[in-house]
Amino acid sequence: MPLARSWSVTSLSNLDEWDEEFDLEDAVLFEIAWEVANKVGGIYTVIQTKARLTSEEWGENYFLVGPYTESNVRTQVELIEPTNPALRRTIDKMNASGCKVYFGRWLIEGSPYVVLIDVGFTAWSLDRWKCELWENCGIGVPWFDREANDAVLFGFLTAWLLGEYAAQCEEPPHILAHFHEWLAGLGLMLCRQRQLPVATIFTTHATLLGRYLCAGNVDFYNNLAEFNVDKEAGDRQIYHRYCLERAAARCAHVFTTVSQITAIEAEHLLKRKPDIVTPNGLNVKKFSAMHEFQNLHAQSKNRIQEFVRGHFYGHLDFNLDKTVFLFIAGRYEFSNKGADLFLEALARLNYLLRVNHSDTTVIAFFIMPARTNNFNVETLKGQAVRKQLWDTAQSVKERFGKKLYESLLVGQLPDVSKMLDKEDFTMMKRAIFATQRQCQPPICTHNMLEDSNDPILTCIRRIGLFNSSSDRVKVIFHPEFLSSTSPLLPMDYEEFVRGCHLGVFPSYYEPWGYTPAECTVMGIPSVSTNLSGFGCFMEEHIADPSAYGIYILDRRYRGVDESCNQLTSFLYQFCQQSRRQRIIQRNRTERLSDLLDWRYLGRYYISARHMALAKAFPDTYVYEPHDSTVSGFRYPRPASVPPSPAHSLHSSPHHSEAEDNDEDDERYDEDLEAEKDRRNIRQPFALPHHRLHTNSSNNSQKN
Amino acid sequence: MGALVVGKSLRRHGTRRRTVVMVSPNVSLEARCPLECVFDEVVVVDLLDSGDRAHLSWLGRPELGVTFTKLHCWTLIRYRKCVFLDADTLVLCNVDELFEREELSAAADAGWPDCFNAGVFVFRPSLHTHSRLLQHAAQHGSFDGGDQGLLNSFFSDWAQTDISKHLPFIYNLSANAFYTYLPAFHRHGHDAKIVHFLGGAKPWHFSYNTQINQHSGSQLDQYVNLWWAEYHRQAPPTAARPETRELSMRKPSLVVETLPATPEIRPSLTDSLPPEVRAPPPPRPPPAPTDLTLHLLPPAPASQTPHSMRTNPEDTASDWTEHQDPPPGEGGGDSGSDSSTPASNELQQVETEEEKQSRRRMWEEGHMDYLGKDAFQNIRKKLDRFLD
Repeated sequence: MPLARSWSVTSLSNLDEWDEEFDLEDAVLFEIAWEVANKVGGIYTVIQTKARLTSEEWGENYFLVGPYTESNVRTQVELIEPTNPALRRTIDKMNASGCKVYFGRWLIEGSPYVVLIDVGFTAWSLDRWKCELWENCGIGVPWFDREANDAVLFGFLTAWLLGEYAAQCEEPPHILAHFHEWLAGLGLMLCRQRQLPVATIFTTHATLLGRYLCAGNVDFYNNLAEFNVDKEAGDRQIYHRYCLERAAARCAHVFTTVSQITAIEAEHLLKRKPDIVTPNGLNVKKFSAMHEFQNLHAQSKNRIQEFVRGHFYGHLDFNLDKTVFLFIAGRYEFSNKGADLFLEALARLNYLLRVNHSDTTVIAFFIMPARTNNFNVETLKGQAVRKQLWDTAQSVKERFGKKLYESLLVGQLPDVSKMLDKEDFTMMKRAIFATQRQCQPPICTHNMLEDSNDPILTCIRRIGLFNSSSDRVKVIFHPEFLSSTSPLLPMDYEEFVRGCHLGVFPSYYEPWGYTPAECTVMGIPSVSTNLSGFGCFMEEHIADPSAYGIYILDRRYRGVDESCNQLTSFLYQFCQQSRRQRIIQRNRTERLSDLLDWRYLGRYYISARHMALAKAFPDTYVYEPHDSTVSGFRYPRPASVPPSPAHSLHSSPHHSEAEDNDEDDERYDEDLEAEKDRRNIRQPFALPHHRLHTNSSNNSQKN
Repeated sequence: MGALVVGKSLRRHGTRRRTVVMVSPNVSLEARCPLECVFDEVVVVDLLDSGDRAHLSWLGRPELGVTFTKLHCWTLIRYRKCVFLDADTLVLCNVDELFEREELSAAADAGWPDCFNAGVFVFRPSLHTHSRLLQHAAQHGSFDGGDQGLLNSFFSDWAQTDISKHLPFIYNLSANAFYTYLPAFHRHGHDAKIVHFLGGAKPWHFSYNTQINQHSGSQLDQYVNLWWAEYHRQAPPTAARPETRELSMRKPSLVVETLPATPEIRPSLTDSLPPEVRAPPPPRPPPAPTDLTLHLLPPAPASQTPHSMRTNPEDTASDWTEHQDPPPGEGGGDSGSDSSTPASNELQQVETEEEKQSRRRMWEEGHMDYLGKDAFQNIRKKLDRFLD
């Protein structure tokens, strides 16, 4: 695959030109999803973060469509009069015929317009609509599946909205409707069935069946082509949902998924190959000061260290400066999220570190919410003991300082042996006595409700990682979301991530994977897999991902044991890095954040939209397939030698605080490297497989 | 669905008694078909048709309506002695020896051992007893509002008089109660002959695929797994029993399907002395849909009742066979083959409005024919009509 640089300048100008040429003046964009202004799961994050870029592009012609719920509207939406006259007429008309449709601004970045439809208010039409759905598409919906019935109502209402809007426009409008997930998919189907003048896009963020199959411990990826999909869906009692999803994918002008891996999944389970992959982005916060994120890392790390001091009181026999913090976070799906693999790898890592007499200690945090009965006493006590020692030290310091001061006042150098008197020693002895403890530091910070059945705890018991002093790998399971008001670890998730050294996400099923992406934009290296959307995306765009702190585990073509060995070696390599190497790696990781910014990734959405417009309105828009198969740009290897320990492990004589190792300095020039990366990242404009041109001649004929 | 499993498990363990399932009229015709394959006889009991005595006393105490359904088993006077099994039981081995017991033999209830559990009991059908039971119900009601309370107060001497009427607990092992005395379960659990899934969570509520992962380990799940294994097992060869084969010859409709099931039946069953009997169940809220291939029968107009089928075997058979291929491994092929007349092929072409509606109803209930008529292929054809 050629490097992006090979067609930099020309393609860049091409696209700029094309961007101007593409005339969106008379087009409107509706983006329809159940999670618009309604947080249920991950789609909300996608839509909410993407809104800013899209509303910058489409301005007044961009409308999000979602369900109306009173509580959400109260907190997130400001209701206003519709600005667009055609839309105002549409909404008035619908409200006059027994619907409740609201219009407002969603109070998020970019403050886009939202059209919210009260689904429950039109529930009386449900049976009629289900009948119509049955007549036209041969799909029925069981009465007991409330979510699917909501999808029917929502689908018919959105199709009504789009149809009415098309009718209210004076000139034939160019409507573009983008539907997310199966819950909105029915609206798309109806648009096509009613032959509305609407260009449609359907995006699945994961397939229904894929999620079910993976949760059922099926050897999913190896059997992808062999599944009898109808049967699998029917056996799992999701046949009607699956039909809605697959029908929407079938009907859409343009079908997209969020990652390469989900594209393969969709191709086999929904029987349509996505036209384009539209990865999810983030809104990257840029700090004005260079390396501000490194300072934040240091701050947060200190707070985690404080927590660890308390947690391991009485057993603090390891050097906190040589301690590496790993973490895994997410929904508590033991095997889908790869917690099983992580634990197994930790056990192997523990063995490796011990036989090699490493002085590095690893502390692995599991942040996965489970059912608990609040904190357990032992962990709270740990923090109390730490606090007490701190107080003792403070009061001794106070007395010490006073004596020092007095001795200086009389013009004498203090006699060090007299500085601490007997009373001080008693006080300190007492404090030390309180820190003794017989038991091991706890694994779990909370009292678990299902302690004996909990998969993580069961696994830890099996592999025997009990935080004993000989263990080089310690485990802390925090079965609750982090919060800055917690008495234990008073940090929110973002601060916590910043304080860690490495995020480990060896998921088996992860259509996109926001967790490693968040790590990346905060400059924290992470482990992901080639079964996660994020891993695939990074693999495709970076020549040497691990140099940039993106470790990608092969779970697709390897067995569990091999993957586990690979993960162990990643972790072992990471532990061997010097502090300086880690800093360099973090710098590189952080530079990748441009790649995950919506400003870059939003372009995939743009080309999906252009593709759809061209398909639906071939007279107005023309789309030219590009010959090149080059997909976007690719980060080359970092200019200087990567900090990957494979190279430096044995060369550096002492990998302690090798902060100012001159030898390394020569090989690494941060600014130079960053400049090179910046040049590369300017390239995204060359990304789409296809380019689109407005056919201006046709346009003028029409006008 | 439950009844089907009970029937299959009885058959597989080679019961030599006749089996009867009693269904209430709201069990659809489609659902009865598979039952007919498994049971020797399907008896429909209608609450309101069950005679004036029942009707009148029911009017007096409407809340006992459901209870009476179970009492109908005493009206099976063709048989001398019967064993009643709830539809949420699972037979683990041959239990024909129960017929050596007398009325009324039952096992103690795990919750209150001085009462018996009405999920498994031996009784003698008698109209006299039936009417006395109804009377008793009308006068005294049932202390728990259900059939168990009524039967316990009617047969109130069970606890004291005759120890031979106490069935060993292994004949009615409550699948969710034995943890209370775990050592005993370990000692005797493997002797269990009939498992009774008490409580709200019936085996068919755990869907097959998830239950393996989530519930592995506990003893309950061991039995849930057995239940599902039974459910997925092919119907036992009915040919082994001469009388059954005769039966199936007479009623071609019997052999056509192995429909798995309809959840709404909560059938109960009975074995009886020479013959065996199963009794009817109060309807249950629809539980989990089935996992097996689901061939749903559009009710052909000609085959409204089992009765009409019998009178006109030729027509009915062709009506049934037109819609579905007889499932493999079923003895069904033979009846279909000799009756598939050219006329039935014509029928195949046109789906009547009624059939369409009934298919839609099956979707509504979550029982779409996803491997047959409702396969996505057919949906796609519909979509493609407007896509171009």
